[in-house]
Amino acid sequence: MTPEPTGPTPTSRPSSILSHPLLRNRAVVVLAGAALLVAAFFLYVRLAFPGVRCEAAKHLDAPEKMGDCYGCHVKSTPRVAQDWYEGKHGITLVRCQTCHGQPDGKGAIAFNRSPGVEICARCHAPSMERMEAKFGTRGNCSSCHPNHQNPMHGDAYVNRQATTKTSLD
Amino acid sequence: MECSRRDFLRYMALSAALAAVSGAPLPASAAQQDDKPDTWVKGVCRYCGTGCGVLVGVKNGKAVAIKGDPDNHNKGLLCLKGALLIPVLNSPDRVTSPMVRKAKGGPLEPIGWDEALDLMARKFRAAIDTHGPKSVAYYGSGQCLTEESYLASKIFKAGLRTNNVDGNPRLCMASAVGGYVTSFGKDEPMGTYEDIDHASCFFIIGSNTSEAHPVLFRRIARRKQATPGVKIIVADPRRTNTSRIADLHIAFRPGTDLALMNSMAWVMIHEELDNARFWGKYVAFKDNEGKDCTFDDYKAFLEDYRPEKAAALCHIPEEQIWQAARLFAESPATTSLWCMGINQRVRGVWANNLIHNLHLLTGQICRPGATPFSLTGQPNACGGVRDAGALSHLLPAGRAIANPKHRAEMEQLWGVPEGTIAPDPGYHTVALFEALGKGDIKALLICETNPAHTLPNLNKVHKAMSHPDAFITVIEAFPDAVTLRYADLVLPPAFWCERDGVYGCGERRYSLIEKAVEPPQGCRPTVNTLVEFARRAGVDPKLVNFRDAADVWEEWRTVSKGTTYNFYGMTRERLRKESGIIWPCPDEKHPGTRLRYVRGEDPIVPADHPDKFFFYGRPDGKAALWMRPYQGAAEEPDAEYPLYLTSMRVIDHWHTATMTGKVPELQKANPSAFVEINGDDAKGLGIAHGDACVVETRRDKLTLPARVSDVCRTGLIAVPFFDKEKLVNKLFLDATDPISREPEYKICAARIRKA
Repeated sequence: MTPEPTGPTPTSRPSSILSHPLLRNRAVVVLAGAALLVAAFFLYVRLAFPGVRCEAAKHLDAPEKMGDCYGCHVKSTPRVAQDWYEGKHGITLVRCQTCHGQPDGKGAIAFNRSPGVEICARCHAPSMERMEAKFGTRGNCSSCHPNHQNPMHGDAYVNRQATTKTSLD
Repeated sequence: MECSRRDFLRYMALSAALAAVSGAPLPASAAQQDDKPDTWVKGVCRYCGTGCGVLVGVKNGKAVAIKGDPDNHNKGLLCLKGALLIPVLNSPDRVTSPMVRKAKGGPLEPIGWDEALDLMARKFRAAIDTHGPKSVAYYGSGQCLTEESYLASKIFKAGLRTNNVDGNPRLCMASAVGGYVTSFGKDEPMGTYEDIDHASCFFIIGSNTSEAHPVLFRRIARRKQATPGVKIIVADPRRTNTSRIADLHIAFRPGTDLALMNSMAWVMIHEELDNARFWGKYVAFKDNEGKDCTFDDYKAFLEDYRPEKAAALCHIPEEQIWQAARLFAESPATTSLWCMGINQRVRGVWANNLIHNLHLLTGQICRPGATPFSLTGQPNACGGVRDAGALSHLLPAGRAIANPKHRAEMEQLWGVPEGTIAPDPGYHTVALFEALGKGDIKALLICETNPAHTLPNLNKVHKAMSHPDAFITVIEAFPDAVTLRYADLVLPPAFWCERDGVYGCGERRYSLIEKAVEPPQGCRPTVNTLVEFARRAGVDPKLVNFRDAADVWEEWRTVSKGTTYNFYGMTRERLRKESGIIWPCPDEKHPGTRLRYVRGEDPIVPADHPDKFFFYGRPDGKAALWMRPYQGAAEEPDAEYPLYLTSMRVIDHWHTATMTGKVPELQKANPSAFVEINGDDAKGLGIAHGDACVVETRRDKLTLPARVSDVCRTGLIAVPFFDKEKLVNKLFLDATDPISREPEYKICAARIRKA
């Protein structure tokens, strides 16, 4: 007697999205299900309660609040906001919009999440030129220099050691 | 269904990688390459008295970028205002044609330059011929180029023969001038910004350095970060952002600064921290009337300022006075910095003297890191107005109108007959506008300043500026300046970087701002406007034989020779090559002077002078230590108006925001005025953050949103003055210091209630 197959065999499985090889994996199904639930929840909140959408988004619609980036971001991105506040840019009041511009795009400088080197150069050109002469530069400064994390009392730049390196790699 | 560990990890890694890629920053936009400037033009920032060097990037005749000048004192750094100057330079919101108001109350209409200048000259000439030279006046600015201020002062004093030449430095630096002159015989600090790099203690009083002089604040913070043991004392009724780096913050009651500082001196003597060797040799003790006294007289005078008594007066813990005095005196090198909190007081000159006293008593002076350094507010109050003598009691290079010898010197230098310059000083600013209101001033030229926004007791000033007999000409670049509402004639100037000229900043550094771009069609350099006006108004053409600012500079440079301001060594060419030079600088080889009054550093002190220090401004070569008594504000709070009202700045705006208001990032950061109130006070009054409140004084009232915080001490409310819709200067009174004639903007009595 031939043994009974112990589970559904490929030839007898119905053809549907659920037979996609990726979806046969339980972990993927669970994750996808969770993601779907979360997305559905946000969609529901957004559509059902337009007035209580994320507070930050509401302030973006209120132009008079646009200049108070910190006031919102201390709630929406608290770590970055706190790093800035405690760091040199925060102590010297180099406000968010000085480098990032305005989110409505109607500012004097283009709005950007990651300011380009020409923004840093306004104040830091001498250091950048020294850097360029010794090591060359990368496309942007923040890939090595943590813009918001330059604390008054931190060790960020203390451990400078003599080196014979001539490139950043 | 099974998921092997390997598969699970693989899927996790895939999701993580996908997330990383979507979150990765975009590469620096290649499109920015199109904006790379062809050339960088050297200059100085348009804003505060810090005077940061800048390089303006120009491409195809347009300004496209700015960066700090690495060779100037700021070492390439800028604050957020300076970093955003290019949009101001490129703003289309400019006055581009002369305009005339044909009838009072009517609109301003465009006219041609010739017609405008003829009209202006006619009005001035008619006033002088009918009512005499005292019926005309010039009100200038610490934002004009040195060449413009020097030239205007010469035209009015030697050409039109009136000493009614004053300027907005009267409103901010006059008390500092008075302090330096009474203590040392000569105006201007004896140290430089470099002293910040050597100080071990900073005494910052009446200054919100972090918002008013940000790049200097950064330098102080850097000094503290780099050197262990540096101590910072901040004395200010408001606990501002500047206090973030303070070791000791003294929130004294407004107007008690004199008592605080006299008490610190008492502690220094009591603890025997005074430097007897220094004061024994270099200090002349003077009582309040100027009579010579001894150290013991001074000690007896200070008995009135024992710490327990002063602390009760100042409403501060007594321990703070002891601590501040010890920190100041025990540190190897102490630098004091102050600004409007000290100067805009009805006893501003006295307050300045008391700061100098602390340095003279302890010998913390004339050494690297040890100096009393007055912070200057405007970019060219020092170089253009103070040094060039464009005030109603001064002549160029520290000369005085009341001194016949000085008048004769200037008459000779300017090539005018003896007796040309009138012997009496003219109107100081508050008196000038009072005279305008009385009809005594028939023709007034206002240059590059906004008095209808910035003078105290504004309602009175607006009434004065509306006088039917007054013909007011205003040279102003921006059409939103409140002063234009009162102008009968408006002339459009070339703006910053649109013409060459020199600015002299707070550390005695003269820097050349080179022309970077052409001015808009219709705008002319003010030097040329002044020359044209003078010629048409009948001034001897010999007096105004200048083609441009460079010609004026040549003359002024020569006029400074032989004086203690001697900067003859600063030729135009040298200024073009270098990033500012610090005077005295007597010849072209001289590198400039960091420490004044010091043998071997200051070229005015003879190399073989027997003593190390020589305060050559005073007849006995010694500095004066003045016994100034405590005096509070002109208008203290009472039952009706129980709070102190003070004016303040925010970092985002400069003065009346005609420039910073053009930059959306700055405008939006602080779009309108507010009233800052202490949390406990607000709670007691039922005021919540954001509530509309009515702030009222004896002069006027304003409705402002409340900003509740712990910045103001109790009993104090503060309002910024940049907002032209909320002119807080209407609320202040125009009480002035009797010596300097500087108004007390920092204190008046007020009340507040929820609207």
